[in-house]
Amino acid sequence: MAQNISPEQSGGAGAGGTKHSDDSLPVKDNHAVSKRLHKELMNLMMANEKGISAFPDGENIFKWVGTIAGPLNTVYAGQTYRLSLDFPNSYPYAAPVVKFLTSCFHPNVDLQGAICLDILKDKWSALYDVRTILLSIQSLLGEPNNESPLNAQAAMMWNDQKEYKKYLDVFYEKHKDT
Amino acid sequence: MTSLDPAPNKTWELSLYELQRKPQEIITDSTEIAVSPRSLHSELMCPICLDMLKKTMTTKECLHRFCSDCIVTALRSGNKECPTCRKKLVSKRSLRADPNFDLLISKIYPSREEYEAIQEKVMAKFNQTQSQQALVNSINEGIKLQSQNRPQRFRTKGGGGGGNGNGNAGATGGAAGGGTAAGAGATAGGAGGGGGGSAVGRNASNQLHVHDTASNDSNSNTNSIDRDNRDPGHSGTSAASANTTTSNAAPSSSVTSGASTSATRMQVDDASNPPSMRSTPSPVPSNSSSTKPKRAMSVLTSERSEESESDSQMDCRTEGDSNIDTEGEGNGELGINDEIELVFKPHPTEMSADNQLIRALKENCVRYIKTTANATVDHLSKYLAMRLTLDLGADLPEACRLLNFCIYVAPQPQQLVILNGNQTLHQVNDKFWKVNKPMEMYYSWKKT
Repeated sequence: MAQNISPEQSGGAGAGGTKHSDDSLPVKDNHAVSKRLHKELMNLMMANEKGISAFPDGENIFKWVGTIAGPLNTVYAGQTYRLSLDFPNSYPYAAPVVKFLTSCFHPNVDLQGAICLDILKDKWSALYDVRTILLSIQSLLGEPNNESPLNAQAAMMWNDQKEYKKYLDVFYEKHKDT
Repeated sequence: MTSLDPAPNKTWELSLYELQRKPQEIITDSTEIAVSPRSLHSELMCPICLDMLKKTMTTKECLHRFCSDCIVTALRSGNKECPTCRKKLVSKRSLRADPNFDLLISKIYPSREEYEAIQEKVMAKFNQTQSQQALVNSINEGIKLQSQNRPQRFRTKGGGGGGNGNGNAGATGGAAGGGTAAGAGATAGGAGGGGGGSAVGRNASNQLHVHDTASNDSNSNTNSIDRDNRDPGHSGTSAASANTTTSNAAPSSSVTSGASTSATRMQVDDASNPPSMRSTPSPVPSNSSSTKPKRAMSVLTSERSEESESDSQMDCRTEGDSNIDTEGEGNGELGINDEIELVFKPHPTEMSADNQLIRALKENCVRYIKTTANATVDHLSKYLAMRLTLDLGADLPEACRLLNFCIYVAPQPQQLVILNGNQTLHQVNDKFWKVNKPMEMYYSWKKT
């Protein structure tokens, strides 16, 4: 369902893109946004989803930190990734800015942690929430879209999974601290 | 499936479910169908705001429901498609109002205001458990309530009812294990100028309000914490009261003359504050989930909860020393910023694992304490001696009964600075610690 698209298509990746939509959107009062985020948090804590977790980063409900477990039976199995989620005031009508905090070597993730995923850009729907975003990113790990890579090297290497895994191990060793 | 503007070039692909499904029979008799609240909620909820549907709008083609405001905003801001299934929604005209559904909701939840109020409350409670700011607020709230209650207690100060109170104190102590605090406090007084112990105890009663506001009515929960702490404390009481271990009123009978005022005071307090006092500092009701994080924190709060619980049950305070009194009372006015959190650890070298005391204490050797910044290092060491003695109870060898401690602070790891007894914690914090996290202090056993 979720297809990743090249960032050019979405008219500027990351914060720039969201800022733009922020201006053009009718900004709902902050209360409604934080209310929805609180509800998501409550649901998330009740659901106790395996493999993902998320929690507001400090007092600000608009900034969360999430974790994703690398999907089983993929080269990413056994790894845990931390991500940051920045919610705009127009959430959930606009997507949050999601970035990898942990270095992630993946065809659709650049070395700064930016993620190329259509549902975070033009395929965003107000029905997506933290849970579905994290699950989508988790499945993206195992099923990259090599047609529009952000990390060309990773995309090229993807075909040889054995080599890829070897490279990953070296990569993690190098980025242990991040 | 029907479409209002037929598209000849489109072919509808029905899912297996759609091919198989048959219309459900209308129930005309009094048959009742049970629906779980959760599935009901998911039916009545707008998937955009996650709230109950308000002015329901239904998509004409795919029949998905949203609040009017939500779907209008969504269509204006994003793709012109159904947020649920991505079916094209050309304009607002692809939607229709659904007054029947609104009626249905109002039938199930007649008072929307009430429902929203309840929801807000639940959210507020939930936030309370996960937000530090909220925690600070509730502490402040507790302090305020504390100071409101204070005049009452003063009015009865010196009032009669000593004998009556005595029996009362014993009874309450026996029933709820609150006697431990009485024992601790009274003995601290007996030891002479046990300011530290009392100041912390006083402080703990502020802490109590935090517990109460956050975990009100979940008595089973708090009680279990209480129970966890009761045993060592109780045996401690008997140890502290030396030879009179049989009676529950033992703490008050065993105190020396120096502390007798405090004992009387304690009884008066108890008599003047009916048990219902306990429930007053709990304006916000709580659900069971809100207590869970509290429980998780119990490592950190065990020290406090132990005392605060007993404090709550007896509302007893030892004020044999006027110095303590001002300290404790002052705390209410000073507010939260004048409290200091401490982590007490055994001295790394002087109190190694083979030390007699550390062996006896085992995992109890690290203590978390929150107290007023006015307390001095001397107060702390007295308190610590008291506390550890109580914890050890009967296991403690006779020789170690009256412990003395040297207190150190570690501005840097590996660098321990011994502290002068006259310094207040505030001064120590300013001089050595500075960072905004619990001050780490070390204790070592002074072998006199």
